[in-house]
Amino acid sequence: MKTGEVLFQVRVPGSSRETIALFSQATQDPNPIHIDDAFALRCGFAQVIQQGPMTTAHFARLLAEYCGADQLRSLDVSFSAPVFPLEDLDLRATVEQVEDGVVLLALVAQKADGTVTAKGQAQVALHQR
Amino acid sequence: MVSKDHEGKVYPPYQVRPDRTMGLQYAQALGLAALPARPPLTYLIFLRGETQGVDLFGDLDIPRHQALHGGQRYEWFAPVEWDDALEVRVRIDRVLEKNSKTGPLWFVDASFDYHHAQSGVLAVREVTRLIKRGAP
Repeated sequence: MKTGEVLFQVRVPGSSRETIALFSQATQDPNPIHIDDAFALRCGFAQVIQQGPMTTAHFARLLAEYCGADQLRSLDVSFSAPVFPLEDLDLRATVEQVEDGVVLLALVAQKADGTVTAKGQAQVALHQR
Repeated sequence: MVSKDHEGKVYPPYQVRPDRTMGLQYAQALGLAALPARPPLTYLIFLRGETQGVDLFGDLDIPRHQALHGGQRYEWFAPVEWDDALEVRVRIDRVLEKNSKTGPLWFVDASFDYHHAQSGVLAVREVTRLIKRGAP
């Protein structure tokens, strides 16, 4: 892997309300903001929002697919904008640095309209532990 | 209310076991058809502590309608399998107040260390970043 190389750019189809509710169940997340429109409105959002950890989970899944789960050392994701039901996300990982057998990747999640919903970094080892 | 006094708070450890039923739900929510051979890398999440007495939102006085999730950091040190007994050690690492145009914002970092219960080996560290904002 070389600096500047795009490791992946993948479009993740938008999640339905049912899928968002399922993710809440799977993560034992009791926050009604993911399932209750009236509550989401009280929080300042027009409708329920997708969980930030779902973006983290998709990044982890893709990194495991492209690099191998055992090679992944760290993943850091910051959430910057809400994601609503059925909004597709483009997830991109770009090589930022390769040093001492570790690849540092810059991560971006973006909506179709260009809104960045999350940014982050991941560290992937080139060799087995 | 949330304050610097919470910094350094350590919770009594609790145990979790990656569960296949929730694991399948997790995988399906990500668009996967079948249960993966191992728990997804981010299956372990701070939210599971709420049923085990680690109520960050309650303890820090962050009402749900004022809560934002700022982000997450994971570090992986050793594999985790389905049904592995893991001891979770939780600490509030940092509490920071910042002023914004809409009023004060509180940033809280809490770390969750998942150790294999039998060996004590650290398998995963998760840091979650919570934000308390003014009432919308």
